[in-house]
Order: sequence, then C-alpha cells, then structure tokens
Amino acid sequence: MCGIVGYAGRRDALPILLDGLKRLEYRGYDSAGVAIVGSGLQVVKDKGFIANLEAQLPPLKGSTGFAHTRWATHGAPSKVNAHPHVDCTGKIALAHNGIIENYASLREKLQAQGHTFVSQTDTESLVHLIESYYDGDLEKATRKALGDIRGSYAVLAVHADEPGKVIGARNESPLVIGLGPDENFLASDVPALLRYTDRVAYVMDREMVVITPKGVSIKDSEGRVVNREPQRITWSLEDAEKGGFEHFMLKEIHEAPQAIHETLLGRLANLEVDGFLSEGVTSVKLVACGTSYHAALVGKYIIEEIARIPASAELASEYRYSQGATERPLVLLISQSGETADTLGAAREAHRRGCKTLAICNVIGSSLSREVDKTIYTRAGIEIGVAATKTFIAELVVLYLIALKLGQDRGTLGYDELDRLKDQLRSLPRAAQYVLNKSDEIRALAQKYGAEAKDMFYIGRHANYPVAMEGALKIKEISYIHAEAYAAGELKHGPLALLTSSTPVIAVVAQDPTYEKMRSNVGEVSARGSPVLAIGTEGDKELPKFVDDVIEIPSLPWIFSPVPVSVALQLFAYEAARIRNCPIDKPRNLAKSVTVE
Amino acid sequence: MKAVILAAGEGARMGPFTASVPKVMIPVGNRPLLEYVVQALAENGVRDLIFVVGYRRERIQSHFQDGKAFGSHITYVTQTKQLGTAHGIWEARGHLEDPFIVLNGSNMVDGRFVEDLLAASRPAVLITQSERPQSYGVVTVDGKALVAITEKPAEVISNLINTGAYALDARIFDEIERLAKDGKHDLPSAVSALAKRVSVGAIPTEGTWVDALYPWDLLRLNAAALKTTAERRAGTIEPAVTIRGRVTIGDGCVIRSGAYLQGPLSIGAGCEIGPNAVLLPSTSLGKNVRIGALTTVANSILMDDVILGPASVVQESVIGSGVVARAGFLAASGPGDVNIEGTWHSVPQIGALIGEDVEIANGVSAAAGTVVNERARVESGAKLRGTIPSGAVVL
Repeated sequence: MCGIVGYAGRRDALPILLDGLKRLEYRGYDSAGVAIVGSGLQVVKDKGFIANLEAQLPPLKGSTGFAHTRWATHGAPSKVNAHPHVDCTGKIALAHNGIIENYASLREKLQAQGHTFVSQTDTESLVHLIESYYDGDLEKATRKALGDIRGSYAVLAVHADEPGKVIGARNESPLVIGLGPDENFLASDVPALLRYTDRVAYVMDREMVVITPKGVSIKDSEGRVVNREPQRITWSLEDAEKGGFEHFMLKEIHEAPQAIHETLLGRLANLEVDGFLSEGVTSVKLVACGTSYHAALVGKYIIEEIARIPASAELASEYRYSQGATERPLVLLISQSGETADTLGAAREAHRRGCKTLAICNVIGSSLSREVDKTIYTRAGIEIGVAATKTFIAELVVLYLIALKLGQDRGTLGYDELDRLKDQLRSLPRAAQYVLNKSDEIRALAQKYGAEAKDMFYIGRHANYPVAMEGALKIKEISYIHAEAYAAGELKHGPLALLTSSTPVIAVVAQDPTYEKMRSNVGEVSARGSPVLAIGTEGDKELPKFVDDVIEIPSLPWIFSPVPVSVALQLFAYEAARIRNCPIDKPRNLAKSVTVE
Repeated sequence: MKAVILAAGEGARMGPFTASVPKVMIPVGNRPLLEYVVQALAENGVRDLIFVVGYRRERIQSHFQDGKAFGSHITYVTQTKQLGTAHGIWEARGHLEDPFIVLNGSNMVDGRFVEDLLAASRPAVLITQSERPQSYGVVTVDGKALVAITEKPAEVISNLINTGAYALDARIFDEIERLAKDGKHDLPSAVSALAKRVSVGAIPTEGTWVDALYPWDLLRLNAAALKTTAERRAGTIEPAVTIRGRVTIGDGCVIRSGAYLQGPLSIGAGCEIGPNAVLLPSTSLGKNVRIGALTTVANSILMDDVILGPASVVQESVIGSGVVARAGFLAASGPGDVNIEGTWHSVPQIGALIGEDVEIANGVSAAAGTVVNERARVESGAKLRGTIPSGAVVL
C-alpha cells in the first residue's frame, strides 16, 4: 500500500521522482524516501509527507533512481522504517510495495549469516537476500531472491555499480512502465508518469523488468523475454488538478452529474453494456470492500427490485475464505481502482468455484479487469480524494444498468416499464445536481450538527440502509467523528441506549416501502432528545414535524433515491470535515487503494 | 498578457435560466457562453486567464477545471460579495501584472475583437454600435478619446456603447479605491474617472460582440454559433435517417429510423432521437437529451437531460436542463408578450421559455411567450400562458 516511481534516463532523476511521488501521494503517506545512483548510491528518507522529505534534500545528482511513499504495514512510521532500504555494503537500494509473508524466517537466516538489520520492516530481508546472491548482476540476484520469498510485491532496486539501470518486479501489487525517448519509467500508478509520457505498458504478476535510458526488457518468471504492446493513456494530468475547488473531494463531489453522464453514455438507449451477457444468470453475488461494498449492498436491492432475481452482497475479505455454496451465481466484483487485494483474491476464488465473473471498475487495464471474464467501466474519471465520492455514484449507475439489462434479457421488465426506468436513469444527473445546488444549506447544517459532535448515528432502511452506512463511513474517514450506521429497525435492539441530546442522528427517510416505519423509528430517536437531521423528499409535508432539519432530495422513484441521498451525505461529511479543519484529501492512516490484504 | 474574465454575476434578466447556473454558463451552440471568450483569447495567444467567479462558481469550475482542455491556464478568484465589476478586478489584483485586459464572460466575441483590444494603446475601452443603447453603458467620445460612460441613459445620447472590454494597467486601481469609498464599485465609473486624469482610448471594434440581454436573444446567438458547426457523426445512426446540412452528432447518440435532421444542428453526447423525429434549423440539444417518436423541434435550445415525449412540437423555444415533457407537448411559435422581471416585452416570434427541472404531463400546450419558471409542475391537459412561478403546480 505504497507508491513507487523509478527513472532511468539522461535527465536529473530527483525532480522527476519527487514530482511523480506527489502525483501518487494519495496511495500512502506516512513516510517517503529516494535513492539516486550518481557518483555512488545516495539515499535520503524521512517520516511524514513528501514535503518533509523535500525540505531536507541535498541536491542529489544522478540520472538513475527511484522514490517511494509508504503506508505502514509492518513497523511503525519512522525514519528507519521508511524506504528505500539498503544492504550491508551500502550499494543496493530497494523499495517495496506489498507484504513479504515469510520475512521473519528469512531475517533469522540472514542475521545468522552476519547481515545487520536496522529496521523492523519485511522489506529489509529482501535487500539483504539480494545482497547474498549478488555477483555483479543485479537482475540475476533479484530473480533468485524473489524465488525465496512468499507474498505480494512491487519492487524497485538499483545498484551503485550498475548505473543507468532500475530493476522492477511485480506479484499482486501494481507496477506500470512508462516509455519515453531516451528515458524510461516505472511506477505503481499512471498519474506519476503522465507529465512525461502517455505510453505505458503494464507489468504482470511474477514478471521482472529492467529499464535503462535506451530500453525496457520484460521477462517472465522463467527468464524468458516477453513482448508487450504499449498502450496510450488518453486521460491527462489536468484531470488530476483541483480547478478552483478547495479540495479534490469537493471537486469530485461536484463532478457527480458528469460522472453519471459519462457512465450512461452510449449504454442507455439500447442497453449496450460492454458485451455483458445476462444469459443463464439466475442469481448474483456482489463482492467488494469498503465504499464499493456499500455500493454492492445497494446493488442487491437494485437487482432484486428491477430484475427480480436473487442477489446478495459479501465483503471480499470474507468471501475469499468462506465455503462456497453449490449454486453458481454470477459474481459481480466492484473496485474503484481494480487493485484492491481482497477483491482480486475474491475474483480468483470465484473462478475456482466455477462462477462467471463481472467487474465494475474505474481504472482501465487494472489488475481486476485482467482477472475477470468481463469488465464494465464506471468512467467517473480519475479520483484523487482518498474518500470515494463520484466513483461510488458511478458504481451505483452501473448497477442500475446491469439490473435493467438483466430485467430486459430475462423478460421480467415489460417494454413500458423498461422505457420508464430508462427515463428515470436519464434524470439522475439532475437529481445529483439538485442536491449540489443546496451546498450552502448543507454547509449550515454541517456547522449545526457536525462542528461539535463526538459521535453520530446514521440510520436508514431498505436500499438506504447501506447508503446510511456509506454516509457514516464518509464522516469517519474525513471528519474523524465516530459514527455508527444502523438499520433503523435495529435501534431498539441495543443502540438506543447510546442516544443522548449530544449524539446527532442522521436519518434517511426516502419515499420507499419503509417510509411509515422509518418515520416511527425517527420518533423513537427524537424521544431520547437526540437532534435529528433527515434526508427527505421534496414536498414531504409530514417529515418536518418529526425531525429538526431536512435536506431535501428531488422526488423520484425510491429505487433511485440512493444517488441523491449519497451526494447529500458526501457534501455533509465534506463540510463537517472542513469546519473541523481536517486534512480532507489525505486523512490520517488511510490510503486510496488498498493493495494489501 | 493576462486576461481577467468577469464571470461572477447571476444575470437576472435571463429569467428561469440562471436559477442554478451563472449567465456565463448558459449554452448556445451547445457550448457555454464563456467558452467563446476563452477561445477568442486563445486564438490570440492569451492563455493565462483569471476568472472572477461568484454566483454558482462550482458550475464554472467543474466545466473549465484548470483550463488545459481549452488550451489555457485558469486561475479562479472568488468574489464573495457581488458588489460590482470594479470590485471584481480589485479582488483579482494580486494575480495581475501590468498591463492586462478585462472582458465580460457572458458576451460572445470573436478573435478579431480580441485582436482590436490587444492592439489598443492603454488605457482603452472597446466600443461598438448598438440598436438598443439605452440598455447599456453609452459612450461619449472626443475623437478617439473617451469622455465618459453613462449607464442606461434615459435619453438616447449616442448609439455607441461600452463592450465591457478594457485594456488597463495598475492606474485603474487608484480610481477603484477612490470610488469604493463613495460606495461605487462598477468598472465603467472607474474608467470614466480615469479618463478625467489621463487619456483613455475609445476604440471602435470591427470584431463580433454580441450580448444576450433576454432569453430570446439566446436563440439569435445560437443560430449564429451554429453557422460554424462542424459536421460530425458519432454513436449509432439507424437505417433510413435523413441528415442534411451541417449536423454535429455527439458520442454515444442513437438516432432512430426515419428521423429527419436538417442542419445546422448540434446534438450533444448521449442523446436518443426517436423514430421519425424531425429536427430543424437552428437547434441545439445538450447532453443526454431524449426526443420521442414523431416529435418536431425547430430553432430551439434544449439544454442537458431534457426529455421530450412523443408527438410534441417545440419551436423558437428555450428549454432548461432536466425538463421532462410527456406526450403531445405543444410549444408552437408566434408573436408573444413576455414578462421578464416585471417588464413586458413584445417578441415577434417566440415559443416557450421553460426553466430547469419543470415537469410537464401529457397533452399540455403553451401559448407563444409563455414563461414557466424552474421546478414548476404542470398536470395533464393544461393550457399555459403568461408566467408560471417557480415550484408552482398547474392543474
């Protein structure tokens, strides 16, 4: 769960590496470091954000090197635990993204051979292992060392005596090659490269790559040369800039209507959903982590309501280790980055169980898209804010499309019904915009409910229960307010005991089949003296009598209400975090895509 | 050279079309007004832009982002209080170096206009002739020197008007500061005051400068913009579709059989044009618009996400984003009287002006000149005329 950038070329490596790191900082950020081969090997690293590192850097000269940002998995964030790690001779430097599972036994063995370890990291075992195999060829030594380790990695290595060469290797952690004239790059993600080249090639599992200023060579685990066609990246760096908004998160919330447009584009009129086949699908299992898991939970309601076939949702980290039932559902895997380790593992497990797999993903060419039978892309554009916003909305939109397609192909939807649902889907950009137009009102409510709160409760029912869970996740992630989400019917089975006049309750009260029940649940809460902020429907005259404040969503069929409600809860969380001066785009301890298990 | 573009205003005379977007973001020829200014500047190599934004600034920022997609670099300055145009420049002064130019973001201008502005010796104001000078700042000149700018004079003293485009330097800030003490915050007053101290050029321009004062002016601007529409085909065009003249069809569109498209037309991305629909000049459809079977649209602007049901007729109309009209909606054009902000205007040819997110049920007709404000709901069979307030329900 880290970012890495490598460079071999003719220019000074340092500014290129630092710039690349900044583009990746969303991936992880408790420490950062850089290794440059010039006159010898030079390594500088520190804990904290990249700016900390940059402030203390001497002008390192050299046109080969790599840089790394780290998010602690093994060993607390500190200067010694930061990457790069160096061997005993001080000639080999290594950065690693992932986890080495057998590092403890390797460490013991290497220490017994006389290697001196300075950090607590799993990565350091690997650099000493390479040292023990080194006989003048870094590529060969790295290949041997990787043969001894178990785990996931994207690795970059350099040697002081082999200038102009960066070695890369990948297993279950992303690594991409950038191709330029007289210079080549390696990085864990495309944004690090975009300023320098738009031609990239992806490294696959158990492959090694050597970049020099002149060329790139990719070899498989047997050492055979692999030919790979480069791809051209069509999105550009400006997608990654803030464009007048205070934070990426706010920019991305405001891009919801656009994300919906792009996701629907060319797919709605004839329900042409990227070659997706609904033939033979009798049930659907939705599998994901984090925010995408909440989309999966909403997806269960969407698919059951529209397509009328059974659907269930499961966490990827649980699905992988559960015993599969004998039935074979269509397995729908959802991941924004397509690099989420648990979701990738779940895709493999689904195949092992003989299921067809379909991914919903925002990043073209991601690892997940290569693991599954088919991928439907969300086209939300690049998302930089750690808290997922527009990509969650776009995932919901794809779920609606899949449900319509299933309903059409299985004949559960009549022509009129399908036509009406399509029009309602067409109206979703407006539904999102309606809520965005209430930004000022939501800011004032965030001040009222979020400025002082230590705890919050989010309640909802039916399709809006997972939406409440997602709202609670957003407020936890970026405002650091402790929040719990409950299915409103469950309140009386315990959580009511926690409600006081200082625990605001955010209640989603849509015009869905549970409306009456939901209103009486809200009544139970009000009776405890908790202030209640409801997300309700425009024109609902009754609701204001039961709650303190209402954020209105436009009136639309309830199955579509999760879209505007989510936008409202995202804006609410954003504004609360802003009032509390939280580092919104880079919340503590969190990384954008979680590539460890 | 840096350019300051004033884009903070609401544009209240645009009726229902600025309910949630600033005037500069109203689309004509399927692009927001502001894009024409940005393009004209880029054609002249002016790519370092400062947008003074305020009212609904998110809409501008979401569209233009950092400007790279338009070949420019944009810095946003937020004018928190819309006191006036001089105050807007004042807020941007930290980003400016001498000399700089100032343009109004809601006017359609061409490259020639910007060329004239760049050629003017500073300080200067670009002027043009107008058929309705009483709506603008009328300019009195002495040869090529500005004497004064008089806002919306009661008597017509000249047909020369201020285009709101200036070539300036730091001297203007002294005037702005002085006038602000008297509670005056508009740029024409500051420029008039400057003209009392130093010679300010009043330069007539040969370039295009068009202002949309009222919603029906948008149709004129739209027709002008579509004259240069590129021919483009994308998406799925079913058999037996007739396409004549300049027609732009965006990505992901589906044009169903029997549709008759007579250019100039611009059809945005993701539209679905029903079987046997007729689109006539000069019409722009935004993104994600659906036109039902057997529906005719002529000389109109339909903004994003509009759904127009089957067997409808829409002529010389402006339909805001997200409007949904079911089957048999009739907005045919004719001479009409339109009320904008309490003033009546006689318009020779007009259909209906329908604000964003209005919902119209089956079989509704709107008399020429009807204004339906945003979020109104019209029940089936209603006959509309006059002005329907926002959020109203018409039975």
